[in-house]
Amino acid sequence: MGATTATALAPPDRGWRYHLRHQTPWSRTVLAAGILVNLFFFIGTIAVLSSYGWSRVCPEGATRIECAPSDPLAAGLKSAALGTVATIALIASIVVMVVGFASLRRMPTRSAKEAVITGAAIASQSIFLPALLLWFRGTDVDRFARNFLNLSIIGRKAGVAWDSVTSSVGSILALALIWAAVVGALVGAYAWWRKTGIRPVVIGAIGGLAGGTLWGLLDLSNVPSFIKGAQNTLILSAAGAALGFGLGLVLALFTMSSRRVVRAPARIYINFFRGTPLIWQLSFAGIGLVPALRLNLSMYAIAILVLGLNLAAYSAEVYRAGIQSLERGQIEAARSVGLTYFQSMRFVVVPQAIRRVIPPLLNEFVILIKDTSLVSILGLTVAQKELLGISRDIYSSSFDATAWLGAALGYLIITIPMIRVVTIVERKLRSGLTSVIG
Amino acid sequence: MNDDGTLLRLDGIQKWFGDNHVLRGIDLSIVPKEVVVIIGPSGSGKSTLLRTINLLEEPTEGKVFFNGVELTDIRTNLNEARTHMGMVFQQFNLFPHLTAIGNITLALIKVLGLSKEEAMERGREQLGHVGLAEREDSYPSQLSGGQQQRVAIARALAMRPTMMLFDEVTSALDPELVNEVLQVMKNLASEGMTMAVVTHEMGFAREVGTRLLFMDDGVVVEEGKPTEVFAAPKHERTQAFLSQVL
Repeated sequence: MGATTATALAPPDRGWRYHLRHQTPWSRTVLAAGILVNLFFFIGTIAVLSSYGWSRVCPEGATRIECAPSDPLAAGLKSAALGTVATIALIASIVVMVVGFASLRRMPTRSAKEAVITGAAIASQSIFLPALLLWFRGTDVDRFARNFLNLSIIGRKAGVAWDSVTSSVGSILALALIWAAVVGALVGAYAWWRKTGIRPVVIGAIGGLAGGTLWGLLDLSNVPSFIKGAQNTLILSAAGAALGFGLGLVLALFTMSSRRVVRAPARIYINFFRGTPLIWQLSFAGIGLVPALRLNLSMYAIAILVLGLNLAAYSAEVYRAGIQSLERGQIEAARSVGLTYFQSMRFVVVPQAIRRVIPPLLNEFVILIKDTSLVSILGLTVAQKELLGISRDIYSSSFDATAWLGAALGYLIITIPMIRVVTIVERKLRSGLTSVIG
Repeated sequence: MNDDGTLLRLDGIQKWFGDNHVLRGIDLSIVPKEVVVIIGPSGSGKSTLLRTINLLEEPTEGKVFFNGVELTDIRTNLNEARTHMGMVFQQFNLFPHLTAIGNITLALIKVLGLSKEEAMERGREQLGHVGLAEREDSYPSQLSGGQQQRVAIARALAMRPTMMLFDEVTSALDPELVNEVLQVMKNLASEGMTMAVVTHEMGFAREVGTRLLFMDDGVVVEEGKPTEVFAAPKHERTQAFLSQVL
């Protein structure tokens, strides 16, 4: 231990086995108690609710007061058994938390101390949910469940029309093959350019095949359905992003011009689109401008156009910040070897700036995904509606507010992976080398 | 070369940054194979002077003639002119997203229009010249400061310039890395390269410089053979400066 030596040694093992060896009986107990209290609450709640059932089928024509699909769920929520589970969990977690934090200073090793903190922290988290549940049981549970917890509607409206799948196998297959060919060819061109070999091409083609199949299935989906809505949300945001990110870069270069006459129009554009609400822009274009000018544009195209033009203004500011964060010396070095201004931008500045602006641009993309909900102002057809429009339709035909939960679920399924990607990309770009190589 | 036999001639260069009068009338001629060393306290305008030579800074007034062309003439193609003047910077300014060889070949391919093979060959030759033949695939972040600066010199030399500009190229280096860069510059000078060098390395100035300029407050206060200026500075500001740094 601690021997001085000239040769480099491997770092000491500080993995979970090391921490396990340095526990005391007490620290083990607190950690286990913290975990157990949580498990007890979650498993107990699910068990009680499942024993009453999550949903039921009501006879045709029955009003929701007589029979609501959510009745068993409401009964479970109101049951004495669930009250007992919540009360026990609440008291137990308070005890574990208090005892745990009180004994912190007496722990002999860092590992034991960390275990006690973990146990107490986990326990403290299971105070909040039981308390909320107990409070909720005191409100009008039946009414809430009738309006918001009709889980069957999400399943019923999710929908692919599975019956028609068998008759459309051919078209789905054809679409899948086209996707595979296109993606494979694109990746292949990139692989040939970068000399990376055949593997990415195969992966790309398989990915394209899967995507094409999914898309083919989506085309068969019922209208209105959440899946159709999600598909439109994705189309609107992807097309808007393609337009916005491209135009944004051009705008950014204009705003950095040393000539006022080039800068000014770009600034006016950006300030206008950043300074007016998106919903105003959509209404003005869709309800005002396009009909007045008798332009032959569908509302769907207008939606994409306005989303793209709006995103361009925001992404221009992101690009500009990214480009201006580079040292001045980079462009000086580029100019000093005879590169023109545009060559310096193209080969030196933009490739470096792109790496810096990817995380903030992805953030703008997540915002755009949510902003697609505003296009419902344009009055799209049922097949064109995105998630929020769909849930509004379902709500207005059924007066069942659970539809809104379905939309929220749809947005989260799309945005959470995107948010994860942002985090991963940010972490990758932060570590020194990856920000340089590639 | 210009009509008067000089390679570079500055006539009455004045430069203002806002209200700040940085260069206050500089005349300077450099003939081929000269190594002109410019010294002076910080803020004296020596870096700005160097940067007006290839018009990274446009002089507010005055003219720059290089190789028979007036660079300050608005009709001159500066990009073409800059290919004949290599510049090396204090902060290296290598392109971090390109390898050592990529840094060198970029302008060879995009500006001089060489084929990739020709550019690689010339790039390797230059890297060998600065003693970094083994490191062509390294990224700047994988190189020491001294190595980065040598790559930057190779990048400038690969264009086969007629003149080189060095802007305090050793100031950002750790002391033990300064010599490897100075050695490359000495070799270059002995090969007959025309050079303008802004530096704080007084030993280098004395040993390699053919002419020394001392600048203060935007004017050239004193000039002469380096050995003579160091041994017997005539102007009192030169005396004060040299007594501080020597």
